[in-house]
Amino acid sequence: MLVLTRRPNQSIMIGDDVVVTVLEVRGDQVRIGIQAPRHITVHREEVVAALAEANRLAASPSPTALDGLDALRGTRPG
Amino acid sequence: MAPVDETEGDGPTEVHFSAGLPGFPSAHRFTLARWGGPDSPFSLLESTEVDGLAFVVAHPNEFFPDYAPEVDDDTVERLDLTDADDAVVLVIVTVPDDVRRATANLIGPVILNRRTLQAVQAVLADADYDLRTPLVPA
Repeated sequence: MLVLTRRPNQSIMIGDDVVVTVLEVRGDQVRIGIQAPRHITVHREEVVAALAEANRLAASPSPTALDGLDALRGTRPG
Repeated sequence: MAPVDETEGDGPTEVHFSAGLPGFPSAHRFTLARWGGPDSPFSLLESTEVDGLAFVVAHPNEFFPDYAPEVDDDTVERLDLTDADDAVVLVIVTVPDDVRRATANLIGPVILNRRTLQAVQAVLADADYDLRTPLVPA
């Protein structure tokens, strides 16, 4: 891991296209701004794993499940 | 305005995820088509690149009438959402064989720009929403 020390309003460049800027330090929290091109995702780390797992579980439902979808329609709130 | 995924004989709508989806970073191109008839709340998001990869998505207000996620500035920028009315919110649904246990991911909605057909899966900052919210109340 590369470790750098920055002050507020200083930035870090990752590759040619990603800029990470320290915006504000308040107590034990750091406000960070990230500029990245559209094909690169930027998420809080603890969120990515959970989201990826949720997507994997949701991916490619079985034909049985798809056939059963109709049964959910009558349950919508009024 | 006609639903973005209504098929009008020209085939399903093609949508593009520049950054793929979490867990599927190389899946960029999908078709989106209403599933189960024109007034169904469900659509199918099918990858045109990864064999067999598909997601059931729902138009969320059918099941969650108060669900109104705030689209953050970064998402607005990534999708070129110059007009708020161009934003379409869809939620990915996990459908097990026992469909009564189906759940929707409300914290990671798919946001689509109906004008450009670009899409992202956003992560809401509002921690009150859940990854697995039952469609059918328990």
